[in-house]
Amino acid sequence: MTAPAPTAAARAEEITKIYGSGDTRVTALDQVSVAFHAGEFVAVMGPSGSGKSTLMHCMAGLDEVTEGTVWIGDQDISKLNDRQLTRMRRRRVGFIFQAFNLVPTLNAKENITLPADLASSKPDREWLDQVVETLGLGDRLRHRPSELSGGQQQRVAAARALAARPDLIFADEPTGNLDSAASGELLEFLAGAVRDFGQTIVMVTHDAVAASHAGRVVFLADGRIVSEMTDPTPERVLDRIIGLER
Amino acid sequence: MFRASLKSLWAYRARMTLTLMAIVLGVGLICGVYVYSDTINRGFNEIFEESFSGVDIVVRTESDFTFGEGSFMDQEDFDRLASAPGVQRAYPSLAGLGLSLLDREGEVIGAQGSPTFTSNLEEGDSAGFVIDQGLYPAGPDQVALDRATADANGFQIGERISLVSEQLGRMEPVLTATARLAEIDNLGSRWILFDLPSAQQALGLPGKVSGGNVYVIPGTPVEEVIAAMTPLLPPNAAVVSGQQAAEEQAAELQGSLGFLTTFLTVFGYIALFVGAFLIYNTFRIVVSQRTRDLALLRAIGAAKSQVMAIVLLESLFLGVLGSLLGIAFGLLIALLLQTGLGAIGLTFPTTSLVIAARTIIVGLAAGTLVTVGSSLAPARRASRVPIMAALNEDAAAPARRSLVKRAAGGGAVAAAGVGAAWLGLFGGGGLGLSAVVWVGIGVGIVFFGMFILSPLFAAPITNLLGWVAQRTGVAGKLARRNAMRSPRRTAATAGAVMISITLVALASTMSGSLRATIDEVLADDVEADVFITSSNQFDPTAGFTTQLAEQVRGLEQVGDLTRLQVAPVRTLSVRETAAGTEENVSELNITSVEPNFARFVPPESSVGTLHPGAGEVVMEESIAAGNGWTIGGEVTLQFEQAGERTFTLAGTAAGPAWTGLILIDRSEWPGLFNSVSDSQIYIQAAPGVSPDDLKAAIEAQPLVAELATINVQTEEDLLSQAEQGINQLLNLILALLGITVIIGMLGVTNTMALSVFERTREIGLLRAVGLDRPTARWMVRMEAVIVSVFGCLLGVGLGILFGWAIVRALNDIGITSFLIPWLPDSWTVSSVLGSLLFWVAATAVLGVAFASYPARRAAKLNVVEAIARF
Repeated sequence: MTAPAPTAAARAEEITKIYGSGDTRVTALDQVSVAFHAGEFVAVMGPSGSGKSTLMHCMAGLDEVTEGTVWIGDQDISKLNDRQLTRMRRRRVGFIFQAFNLVPTLNAKENITLPADLASSKPDREWLDQVVETLGLGDRLRHRPSELSGGQQQRVAAARALAARPDLIFADEPTGNLDSAASGELLEFLAGAVRDFGQTIVMVTHDAVAASHAGRVVFLADGRIVSEMTDPTPERVLDRIIGLER
Repeated sequence: MFRASLKSLWAYRARMTLTLMAIVLGVGLICGVYVYSDTINRGFNEIFEESFSGVDIVVRTESDFTFGEGSFMDQEDFDRLASAPGVQRAYPSLAGLGLSLLDREGEVIGAQGSPTFTSNLEEGDSAGFVIDQGLYPAGPDQVALDRATADANGFQIGERISLVSEQLGRMEPVLTATARLAEIDNLGSRWILFDLPSAQQALGLPGKVSGGNVYVIPGTPVEEVIAAMTPLLPPNAAVVSGQQAAEEQAAELQGSLGFLTTFLTVFGYIALFVGAFLIYNTFRIVVSQRTRDLALLRAIGAAKSQVMAIVLLESLFLGVLGSLLGIAFGLLIALLLQTGLGAIGLTFPTTSLVIAARTIIVGLAAGTLVTVGSSLAPARRASRVPIMAALNEDAAAPARRSLVKRAAGGGAVAAAGVGAAWLGLFGGGGLGLSAVVWVGIGVGIVFFGMFILSPLFAAPITNLLGWVAQRTGVAGKLARRNAMRSPRRTAATAGAVMISITLVALASTMSGSLRATIDEVLADDVEADVFITSSNQFDPTAGFTTQLAEQVRGLEQVGDLTRLQVAPVRTLSVRETAAGTEENVSELNITSVEPNFARFVPPESSVGTLHPGAGEVVMEESIAAGNGWTIGGEVTLQFEQAGERTFTLAGTAAGPAWTGLILIDRSEWPGLFNSVSDSQIYIQAAPGVSPDDLKAAIEAQPLVAELATINVQTEEDLLSQAEQGINQLLNLILALLGITVIIGMLGVTNTMALSVFERTREIGLLRAVGLDRPTARWMVRMEAVIVSVFGCLLGVGLGILFGWAIVRALNDIGITSFLIPWLPDSWTVSSVLGSLLFWVAATAVLGVAFASYPARRAAKLNVVEAIARF
C-alpha cells in the first residue's frame, strides 16, 4: 500500500461498506478510492442511496469500513480504537450537520468551544475572534440555540467546525434546512474559509447550487464514484446529475 | 386496542421494568408486613385457643399493678374454689418474674430482650405447658425449660442448669424435661418450670398462686359452676369461662403488638408512596415521548377516549402484574422481618407464614390503584395532544404552568402545615388533638407543600451542585446543564429520593437528640461514677438484697453512695373543669431516697425542700403541675398493698434527670411495700479513684459475683447500653427506609434512561465532535448524582426541620437536647448510618451506581444512527 500523497488531507483506499447480511445485505460503498487534498473544497453528490453519507461517515471515523483503508493526514484510522478515534475527531475533523448541530443546553460560544473543552485544551482566542467576526455572530454568542435562527445555528456550527483548525471539515447537507439567502451566506463563508485560511472542506449535498461553490465535485452512484468535475457551475452539475439518474 | 397496549408495553419494556420494580417493592413491603403480623397473630391465637381448649373455667387474679403482689392469691383460696360443687378437677398455676437463666458462661440469657418467666407444670392439666420430652420435675432440685430455650442454648435433659434469683441467690437444678405450649415452643420468651411448691419457693411467693384451670364434671353447665364459685372468690380474683379467657388473652397480646404492626405498615405505605412518584414520573415521560405515536393514532381515527384507554390499559396491566409479583416478594420480606426482628430480640411464636385473603386484596388493590392513578394525568394529556402539532414537531413541549402560581400554591400549603405544627408546638394542641398529633399533621402538610415548591428550588440548588460537578470537567458541565434543563422533571425525580431521605434524617436527628439527651443527663445531671442496677428490666419490682450496699459501702474506693428503691404507684388527682370534675390517674414509679440523693442528682431548679421528711413527697415539677398539686398541699397516691395514702408535697424540682421522679424518704418504704430490697445504688468514687477501678473493686465482691443478675456500670457503660438500644431501633428503621431509598433511586435510573433516550441525537452529536465514551458515561452519571444529591439535600433539610419540631414537642417527656448528627461520632455501623453526611455521600454514590445502565446506553450508542435520527 502506498503512503498517501503529502497534500492529501484525507484519503480512502478501496473502501467497501456492507450493511446487514444475507437477504438484507446492502453494499453502501463498493471499493471506493478517493482523496481530498489540503485546502480543497469538495462537494460529494449523488442520488439518494448512492452512499454519499456513508462515505462521509466512514472517512470521518464515525463508522467502520468493512474493507479498505481510510487515512486522515498520515494516520490510518481503520487501526484506531474508539477512544483514539474520538480524539482524532476532536483534533483533526470538524462537522456540520443538516440540523440539530448544537447542544441545546450550551450557548453559542460554548458550542463553538465544545471540541476544545472536550479535549481540555485552550481555544486559540485570536483565531476564534476572527472566525466569529467573519460569521457575524459577535452579538449572538451568549444566546442558546433555541434563540437563534436556522441560518445563525448553521453558522455557529460552522464556527465550531473551524475553531479547532481541523485537517478537514465534513459538512453533511449543511444548507438542507436553510432558505436560499441563509444558504448563500453559509456557502460563501465556507468557500471563504477554504480560500482565505486554506481549510479543507468536504460537503455532501444534493443541491446543485450548493455544489457549485466547491472547487471540485465528486459524483457517487450505487456505492461507486462515477465521475468528477472541477470548477462546477450549477448548470453543469445539474446536467451531470440528470445524466446519472437516467 | 388491548393488543396495541401490550405492544407498546413490550416496546418500552426496559423503562417499564423499572416501573414494575417500584410497584413490586412497594406492594412487597406492605404485603410482607401483613404476612408477618398475621403470622404472629395466628401464632398467638393458636396458642391461646389450644392452651385453653378443654378448660371450662379459668380462675385469675386482676391487679392494677403488673406482677405486683396483687397479681397473686392464696393457694388456700384457690383450693376452696376447687371444692365448689360441679368441679371435677382443678390445677393451680403460678407465673412470675425474678428468676434468670444463665448460659454456660454464667451470663444472664436475654437480659435485654424478652422476659424470663418462672411457672409451674401440673401433670393432668392439658392447658398451659405440657411435657414434650422427659419427666415432670419434682422438688426444688428438678426443673423443666420450654423447648425453644433449651434448644437455643443446647441444654440437654439430665444436666444441671444455673438459675439466679435476686432474692435467693443461685440454684443449680437438674433439667428433667422440655415443655411446649400447645404446638408452639414458647411465647417468644423463656420459661423456667418447676412443680408448684418449688416455683413458689423460687419466686419467693410461698403459698401463692396466680390462678388456675378448672374442669367441671361432664354434663354440668359451666355457668352454674361459675355462679357457685363467685361468692368464694378473694377480692382480687375473678372466674371466667375458658373460651372467654382464650379470646381475651389473644386480643390483649395482639393489642400490645398493634404498635409494631402499625409501625411496620406505615413503612409499607411510605414505600408505595415513594413508588407512586416513580410510577407517575415514568408514565409522564413515556407518554410525552410517545406523543407522536399517539397523535398518529388520533390522526387515523382513534377517539380521545381510545387513546386514553390505551395508556390506562397499559398501567392496569403493569399494576396487576407488579402487584402479583409484589405479593410474592412480600413473603420474602416477611421472612426477612422475622429474621431481622428476631436478631434484635423480638422473637414471636413460630408457625408457617399466613397469607390472608386481605393481604392479597390490599396488595392487589393498592398496587393497581396507585399505578392506574399515577397514569391518569399523563393519559389525559396524551389524549389532548393537538394532532398536527404533534406530527409536525419533533416533540410537543408541554405548556409550562406559571412558576408564580406554583410558588403561591406551594407556599400556602407549606404555610398551613407550619401553622398546624406551630399550634402543636406552642399552642399545646386544640380541637381535642394532642400537641404531638398536631405536629404530625403539620409535618405531613409541609411535605406536600415542599413537593409543590421543589421545582422552584431545583434550578438554584442543581446549579450550585452542578457548579461543583463542573469543576471536574466537561462531563460535569454538560451534566449540570442537563439537570437544569427541566426543573420539573428534576424535582419530581428528586422528590422520591427526598421523601425517603427526609424520614432517614428525621430518624437520625431524633435518635441523635435522644442520645444527646441521655449523654447530657448522665454527664451533667447525675453525679455518680458507678451505678448498680438490676438486669431484670421487665420486673418493675426487681431488686437485690440490701446487704450489697453494706458490703460496697465498706470499700476504700467508695467515696459516697446513695440507695434507691423503686416500685409502681398510681397518682390520683381530681380536676375541676367546666364540664365537671375530671379524674386523673396515671401510672408512675415511686422512689425512696436517702437524704444525700440530691447530691447525686442535683436539679436545675427547685422549690421547697429536696428531701422529703416523714409523710412528705418531693416530685418533678411538671408532675405536680399536671395534677394541680401545690407545695404544702395534699398528694394522693395509690399503692398496691397499702392502698390510697395521702402525703404533703414538700418540694418540686426540675431538670432532665428529674423526669418522672416522685420521691419519699427511705424510712417510709417498709410501711408501703412488703419487699425491702434495693433497686439501684449510685456510687461516687473516693478522691483519686477512677470509675473503672471503682467498678472493678465492686465487681470483686463475692456477693456481686453470686447475684449475677445485677449490673455494675460506669456512666460510659450506661451510655453505651442506652445507645445500643437506640441504635437497634434506628437500624431497624433505617433498614426499612433503605427499601424506600432504593425505590427512590430506581426513579433516578428511570429518569436518566428516559433522558438518554430523548437526547439520543444530542449525545450522538457530542460523540461526533469528540466526546469519548468514558466522558459520555460520566456525563450521565454526574447528572444522576446532581439529581440524587438535590433530593437528598431537600430531604435532609426537611428531616432536620421535622426532627426539630418533634423534639420540641417531646420536650415534656424529657428529650431536652437537639442534635443534628452531621458526622458519625464513631466508626460503628449505627453511628455511620445515623449520620446525615453519610447519606449525602451515599446518595451521590448510589446516583453513580443507579445511573450505570443509562450511562452505558449513552456511551454505547451508535453515533451514525444517533445523528441520523430526528
